[in-house]
Amino acid sequence: MTLNRRHFLAALTASAGVLSLGGRAFAQAPFVIPTYGGTWAKFWEEVLLPGFTKATGIQGQLDVGLGKDFVSKIRAGGAASPYSVFMGNENIAAMLRAEGFFEPLDLTKVPNAAKLHEGLMNPENNGLRGIVSPIGLAYRTDMIQTPPKSWTDLWTNPEFKGRIGLYQIGNTGALLFLRLAGKLFGSGDMDIDTAFTKIAELAPFTQASWSGEVATALMRGDVAIAPVDWTEIMTLQDKGAPVEIVVPTEGVLAYEQSFNIVKTGAAKDQAHAYINYLIDADVQSNMAKTFYTSPVNTASTVDAALAKRIPITGDAMSKIIRFDWDKYVEIAADVADRWNREIG
Amino acid sequence: MTVTPDAPRLHRRAPVWWMILPALVLLVGFLILPYISIVVMSFREASTKAVYGDGFTLAHYTDVIADPFIWGIVWRTVRTALIVTVVTLLLGYPVAYHLARTRSRVASLLYICVISPLLVGLVVRTFAWMIILSNNGIANSWMKALHLIDRPIQLLNTPLGVTIALIHVFLPFVILPLLGNLQAINPEIALAGRSLGASRMRTFFKVTLPLSMPGIQAGSILVFVLSISAYVTPAMLGGSQGRTMAVLVVQYLVDNFRWPAGAALAIFMAVITLAILVVYLRLTARAMRRLP
Repeated sequence: MTLNRRHFLAALTASAGVLSLGGRAFAQAPFVIPTYGGTWAKFWEEVLLPGFTKATGIQGQLDVGLGKDFVSKIRAGGAASPYSVFMGNENIAAMLRAEGFFEPLDLTKVPNAAKLHEGLMNPENNGLRGIVSPIGLAYRTDMIQTPPKSWTDLWTNPEFKGRIGLYQIGNTGALLFLRLAGKLFGSGDMDIDTAFTKIAELAPFTQASWSGEVATALMRGDVAIAPVDWTEIMTLQDKGAPVEIVVPTEGVLAYEQSFNIVKTGAAKDQAHAYINYLIDADVQSNMAKTFYTSPVNTASTVDAALAKRIPITGDAMSKIIRFDWDKYVEIAADVADRWNREIG
Repeated sequence: MTVTPDAPRLHRRAPVWWMILPALVLLVGFLILPYISIVVMSFREASTKAVYGDGFTLAHYTDVIADPFIWGIVWRTVRTALIVTVVTLLLGYPVAYHLARTRSRVASLLYICVISPLLVGLVVRTFAWMIILSNNGIANSWMKALHLIDRPIQLLNTPLGVTIALIHVFLPFVILPLLGNLQAINPEIALAGRSLGASRMRTFFKVTLPLSMPGIQAGSILVFVLSISAYVTPAMLGGSQGRTMAVLVVQYLVDNFRWPAGAALAIFMAVITLAILVVYLRLTARAMRRLP
């Protein structure tokens, strides 16, 4: 085909049209909301996202993955992050925070933050913990004679020997348990040497990569006792599994999902609106019903039946054992490496 | 079709090279550039404040090479891949041979049996193996029922469990190349051997087996490479005892965010795999040159 002037002008006009459409499409690009897969994605898609759009008029687009995936994408994005809001365990968020990827929340745009339980807002408003899944000691009621009362029972009750399940070091649950061991037996939660010694004493134990795997091991009877989050155990109970979970005397650990404003993200207002909506009293109550999480909003209500099943609500939120992850960032890689070599 | 005198001249002038451009763009964009990026990253300094530091270093490679822990996992990975390759060959060859020679109506059913595992997601298949291999799983229950064992044998979270599952997962990858190769061998060659007085066994070992060497080579390389780089199965079934290099690399990259060290580890493993393949190719090529 020969390209004459008419063809050239037509092509130019078409290109200009496409470019202008592209520009409009970019201007109206949906706000990207990172979340987890499985039942989490389902809840976000069917309940949370429509509710968020209805409440704020903001269209959101889900991106399903793990907190670690979101870290990689934010890092790879450099000065143009694909996300304006980050969701991930607080220990992972602490790492991005140390790298300077987050900026403090503008609390005038997050009025619900004033209703948060104590300890859930990070210093200098640098992110907040918007979803709390407590971790207790779960056990098989048909395999254990003496139910656990304390975390230290794992070491002292001979009935548990060889039947314990723990998380692998890649899971935040393992880090929480490691620091708990340091706190219980050593000079403090940063006493990693003592923690390693004490965890080695629990061997042999089964290691699992994520909560679902621990739950499956409990279901199969491959392990009889394990630290797991309420979400998994309540779900197992709903299916009729003979499992129970207790609040140890020292308190519970918790997966705390940190929500942060990404400095290099493009949609800061939408990100603030999203975080505000996520910690809304009703949304948190809804999450508690769906995931058996502990509502972070003091105004959230949990009915009596549900409160019996999830004891870490309201004032009991103070039973959560928290650690400072900002100072742990520096040693995180070495600890993981050491776990692989010493614990396996 | 009428060919005008100009046609050959036009054909000669046609710039054929641009036809490979899309493939070249894909290759450079999605393979070569990321590889270069990984190689460069493997020499960057580590950082806890960013993806990697500003400077360059050889430390990640020297750390890897000097670390007996890493070598232990390398050996476990290579050993597992070798076992999987040999066992899949031994199991897959008779199946491929039968499929290549049979005229039975059930051949289609057999084809479906061979291919069907590929239709189910790897994660699902690995979950199935989790259920089969667990202490209270089918494998242990059957062995107990047959009075072969008194108490459960630990299969989950062991190299043995990973090996068993990988054999199942990669069996089709050895059968299919072998099948193509065996079907291409003229059956009359084997018949000629038989008519000259060779036994069925002798004909197989002296005629069919050597002629199927290209299929064996292709299938074994495929399975070896896939086994050595397998991630999902070792990650889900291996636990700490069955951890392979791929799992360790992902742990470095994804769990610990040690990107430069993880990149060095990945390249180290790729070099080892390449070295083993070069040796294997040379040995098998030499064996094939001696074929009749």
